[in-house]
Amino acid sequence: MTQRKRLSNTPSSSQAKRQSGAFPAQDDDDDVTFTQPSSTQVQRGLEKLTPAQVDQKTAEVVQFFLVKAQKKIPIRRADIVKHVVKEYKNIYPEIIKRATQTFDKVFGLKLVEIDTKNHLYILVNKLDPVEGDSPISAPANPKMGLLFQILSVVFMKGGVVRENVIWNTLKKLRVDPGEKHEEFGDVKKVVTEEFVRQKYLEYVRIPHTEPVEYEFRWGQRAEIEVSKPKILEFLGELHEVDPKSWSQQYREAHASQNSSQPSSSSSSQR
Amino acid sequence: MKRARSSGENEEAPRQNGSSSRRQSENSDVEDGEQAFGLGDLGEDDNDASRRREIRSKYRDLINTIQQEREDMVSLTNNRLTEVLEEANNLFKDVRRAREAALDAQLLVVATDLGKEKASRLFSEGTAFDTTAYTEHLLSFMGLNRLEDGQQNGGVDGYLPQDAWHRLAQRAQSCFRTAPSFHFMRGSFHAEPPPPRQRIERQRKAPSKEAKRIMPTELKKMEDSQQDETVKEVERILAYLKGYHKDDPTSPISYYEFVIDPDSFSRTVENIFHTSFLIRDGLARMYLDEDKLPCIAPVEEGEAEAAESSNRKQGIVSINPKIWKELIDAFDITATMIPQSE
Repeated sequence: MTQRKRLSNTPSSSQAKRQSGAFPAQDDDDDVTFTQPSSTQVQRGLEKLTPAQVDQKTAEVVQFFLVKAQKKIPIRRADIVKHVVKEYKNIYPEIIKRATQTFDKVFGLKLVEIDTKNHLYILVNKLDPVEGDSPISAPANPKMGLLFQILSVVFMKGGVVRENVIWNTLKKLRVDPGEKHEEFGDVKKVVTEEFVRQKYLEYVRIPHTEPVEYEFRWGQRAEIEVSKPKILEFLGELHEVDPKSWSQQYREAHASQNSSQPSSSSSSQR
Repeated sequence: MKRARSSGENEEAPRQNGSSSRRQSENSDVEDGEQAFGLGDLGEDDNDASRRREIRSKYRDLINTIQQEREDMVSLTNNRLTEVLEEANNLFKDVRRAREAALDAQLLVVATDLGKEKASRLFSEGTAFDTTAYTEHLLSFMGLNRLEDGQQNGGVDGYLPQDAWHRLAQRAQSCFRTAPSFHFMRGSFHAEPPPPRQRIERQRKAPSKEAKRIMPTELKKMEDSQQDETVKEVERILAYLKGYHKDDPTSPISYYEFVIDPDSFSRTVENIFHTSFLIRDGLARMYLDEDKLPCIAPVEEGEAEAAESSNRKQGIVSINPKIWKELIDAFDITATMIPQSE
């Protein structure tokens, strides 16, 4: 009787000891350098944690994403690890996998790593916008109009546009980058800094120009978040022409549509 | 002789560079130009500095023209770019030195860049996108009223309504798969971390500064008040002692009955502590009665000086909760003789 008791007790207690010993060791190297743990490391890490602990951490990461996404600035992996994941970083891939599932199944959002080198994440809406008037008439952010105008010009002009083309079209729309706009404030700052930081636009210096000139391209976020076919559709409405008449843009829009959003194909192809 | 050869070697490199890059520009005039300066011309005007200066200045002018008339250069309706390249070719006939050849290369870099842009314009020519038409359509969509005069932009026709960009944004939203941003329903915490953080720091800093300034005086005060407290307490106890003695001068006051507070061990200790000052200062004396039990009595004014000279003894009173309880039982103490102040 006593022997059996002892037998059943010893393994669990030694396991508990091992568990508690593992954590302080990992706290030592709590710095920026973060190497993606291997799948076996993740497996081993998961064995040491209860499912509830992993769920809790996942929930924290999900909340971190939601709050961070408010500013529309891509979220850095380094920040996630530093502020939320912390000592759970040995199971980071698992946590991100679960967070991705949560966004997918609960929020209808897609977590996308737009930059696999610098590890930047954004959230994208997986659901198609409601046709016609939305039941909830959320006030539109006028900056989206400004952004749309720039993105559409860049796209229609073949993907790269020199900055003065953009400034000139904006001037025609009564927005002078040199003046303070009542809606956008410092327009140049919004366009070349805010939109760039949000990864909607790239603003790059053109080589060999004197005086210095810059050009605009689509940023990584725009490539994922903005639908080229929809832009063509809208422009077609405006010009009262068939979007297909812009054959080159039309081809590109529908080619990139298939390559950049393969996973959400069921929802986007209607 | 030596000099001539070395200059000839210098010549060799730039000319080759020049001819190969010229071929890149695919200009048919090149061939003739190339032949114009054979080896025979070498050393003819080698040191003609002013001629070289003129060539350089012409090259710089050309580069400037290209950069300043960029829009004109890449336009599909004229041949300005070709003209410039031909001009450069003519100049190159007289190039003898690396310095001029470098300028030629520089011009070619700029021209190539323009060529690329021009090519891209040609490429999309079939479905050219006219930004002017586009902006006009957008203005109509945004609700431009062409009949009214624009007030803020004096020169521009038409009046653009206040919500113009809202209208566009509303429509453009369908092109964006933007994740709706998350907001707290009560909305009070409008994620602005920097200001609160500063406030916390300021709050922390301010008191610490003040505290530093106040610290010394405050500490002194505390010590003062503590001393005052002790002095007061000692005087208070002396008053009690004198009072009891006055009430019945003949019967001795038992030391333990005097200091022990049956309800509080700590008060007892305090009483012993304060009473010791009375003994030290010669305001009270202790002695043993017939039963060898300690008694306490106040020292009269006159007696004090006599006591001063007489030999004084020191004693240690120790007490712990156990002894305290035993004493309470032994002396059958029910109430303290020194009531708590206030």
